[in-house]
Amino acid sequence: MSAPTAVVVRLKLSLLRNGLRQSAGRRAAYVASAVVVLLFAALQLVGLIALRGHAHAASLVVLLVAVLGLGWAVMPLFFPSGDETLDPTRLVMLPLRPRPLVRALLAASLVGIGPLFTVLMLAGSVVAVAHGAVAYGVGVLGAVLGLLMCVTLARAVAAANIRLLTSRRGRDLAVLSGLVVAVGAQVVNFGAQRLGSSGLGQLDPAADVLRWVPPAAAIGAADSASAGSYGTAAAQLLLTAAASVALLVLWERSLTRLMTAPDGSTLQAAGEGTRGRRGSSGLTRLLPAGRTGTVMERSLRYVWRDPKTKAAWVTSLAIGLIVPVFNALQGTGSPYFACFAAGMLGIQMYNQFGQDTSAFWIVALSISSAQDAYAELRARALALLVITLPYATLVTVLTTGLLDDWPRLPEVLGLSFALLGAMLATGAWTSARFPYSIPQEGYKNVAPGQAGLAWIAIFGGMVAAALLCAPVIAAAIWLNVSAGGAAWSWVLLPAGAAYGATVTWLGLRLAAPRTAARLPEILAAVSKG
Amino acid sequence: MSSAVRVRDLHKRFGQQVAVAGIDLDLPAGRFIGLVGPNGAGKTTTLSMVTGLLRPDGGTVEVVGHDVWRDPVAVKARIGVLPEGLRLFERLSGRELLGYTGRLRGLPGAEADKRATQLLDVLDLAGAQHKLVVDYSTGMRKKIGLAAALLHNPEVLFLDEPFEGVDPVSAQTIRGVLERYTASGATVVFSSHVMELVESLCDWVAVLAAGRIRAHGPLEEVRGSAPSLQKAFLELVGARERDAGSDLDWLGGGSR
Repeated sequence: MSAPTAVVVRLKLSLLRNGLRQSAGRRAAYVASAVVVLLFAALQLVGLIALRGHAHAASLVVLLVAVLGLGWAVMPLFFPSGDETLDPTRLVMLPLRPRPLVRALLAASLVGIGPLFTVLMLAGSVVAVAHGAVAYGVGVLGAVLGLLMCVTLARAVAAANIRLLTSRRGRDLAVLSGLVVAVGAQVVNFGAQRLGSSGLGQLDPAADVLRWVPPAAAIGAADSASAGSYGTAAAQLLLTAAASVALLVLWERSLTRLMTAPDGSTLQAAGEGTRGRRGSSGLTRLLPAGRTGTVMERSLRYVWRDPKTKAAWVTSLAIGLIVPVFNALQGTGSPYFACFAAGMLGIQMYNQFGQDTSAFWIVALSISSAQDAYAELRARALALLVITLPYATLVTVLTTGLLDDWPRLPEVLGLSFALLGAMLATGAWTSARFPYSIPQEGYKNVAPGQAGLAWIAIFGGMVAAALLCAPVIAAAIWLNVSAGGAAWSWVLLPAGAAYGATVTWLGLRLAAPRTAARLPEILAAVSKG
Repeated sequence: MSSAVRVRDLHKRFGQQVAVAGIDLDLPAGRFIGLVGPNGAGKTTTLSMVTGLLRPDGGTVEVVGHDVWRDPVAVKARIGVLPEGLRLFERLSGRELLGYTGRLRGLPGAEADKRATQLLDVLDLAGAQHKLVVDYSTGMRKKIGLAAALLHNPEVLFLDEPFEGVDPVSAQTIRGVLERYTASGATVVFSSHVMELVESLCDWVAVLAAGRIRAHGPLEEVRGSAPSLQKAFLELVGARERDAGSDLDWLGGGSR
């Protein structure tokens, strides 16, 4: 092992070991996550070995390895700073040539839980498909090539994107791309359900293509060798090797560029100059004057401009629409599901000050009485209502329309408004009583050590909101079961709306003095991210 | 002489760590006051408690005669603050941030916008006024923070490390604005560990070390017979001048 390689590998090993040298809680989390990954890998290995001889084993295995490769490709996009030894920008000041550096970083990349997981999976895949000595030989070679390709792929993607990821816009995008994963999970879920109903044979066409795409091609080679088509196997191995080499070259090139050209992302941003004023005047004119309008404007701007707030809103809006409407489309829904939209959007009222991050000091300095705090909270609730009220109404109308259950519309709308009011009230109160930090980088929505606080705030608040709605829910049930009650169900619309408004007003009134009295404590709680 | 800030027996501890161990201090009004001390001396903790952003464990703070914790209405209207290590609303543009802060402080919209325009001009931020604060450099952030703190024309201005990470051009701009502001009779209290800066700017200093006041008074008084504030400061905080020569005899000279 040459000198830089040994040093970097040792650095990686120390970093892995240092994971154990943190505070007790983080050490427990570190060990637990490692154990879970290894357990999962072991179970997967057993499962793959058990798959041996199954008619569609090859298709499944090829698909699995393709997904694994995809995982390696997207991983660095989400955890840019996940591996410090592999961040070339940290090595810029050292006198290293690109070739030895690539060798060293590649060796270091092979150390860790991720590569171990990959080795186990590739080994299991080979066992699942290989029949005969030649096939095993090809399989071992394929597994080695596959691992190399996965690791190189991750490094090449990371290096190519490091410029993007060190710039502000790039990080903003990375936060939003979490949504892509969420939506992707829904698609996978949908696919898995279809698979469950119509069998593994569905996989074959996809696998036929993927067995020619590295790194899945490496395992495809083992399968081809088992079938006796050695030429195909050789071609598939060669393809994987060629892809690995191409990625290595690509990686080395972007590394060289990174190490020699300084990061100019901030300079570019500074030279961008004026961007022209955007719609500010139009928005301002529509909003009321004074603190109310000022705070509403800022809140609404943040929904659009702050990636964390935007991601939370988009998630709430999407889930609030998808659950009732998709259920209605499949004919399994109920108009009452439309209340889901109000509930999901009401969550945005929770942890209001945590959403401000430590910039809350600006708000804290401008609140000197319970009246100020009331105006602040009311304005935030109003900003939320500007979006939520029409949206919840739309979702309710859409759901009842799809189910063709129009008589229930007023009743469900009334329930929605009451629920929204209860969420706003409990949200305002928990914002004052249980604030917590939202880290601005990465995907975590709670700062370390505050998870308990967040759970209390969100789940306690939601249970409280449900209880607050109990009178309206009880009225709805009573009208539905009592004879002739259905004719009066329209009463729930005005009653629910009035109830929601009253509960909101009470919640804000209760939360305001608490907020005003706890400003320094709130600031301390939201400044940890 | 009337006090702009009156601090009595101020205490704060974080767990086992005592950050501020009993401070008594009277800061005179109308002066340019420097709060100096080494890193970890308790400067930020003290300023946070004085401005009402951090609750003290004990003691009282009065700003222009009003208790910070019992009469926040009177105090918050009269002070401007530029804290260190806290964010701004960075997804607003510089101009939007000033408009927001001014209105939040109770200024009429038109007045807030007029003052914002003037401050942006004076602080050389007019060209970047429509850029989001998140894209600002350190110096620009300090300047926009200063503008936000000045917008409502406070009587006392508290600045925590206003020159940290600021380039000489921006520093000169900030300095000019602050000098104009104190000349009108207002009080500036700022913390720093750069002695030359404090010496050239302030006429009154308080030296803080390990959570206690080591010396305070007019600059000449604190400096005493020492040739510079730097020397006086090192003596006050008890830093020994170590002879570094003997251990590092290989350093310099070009050979490896």
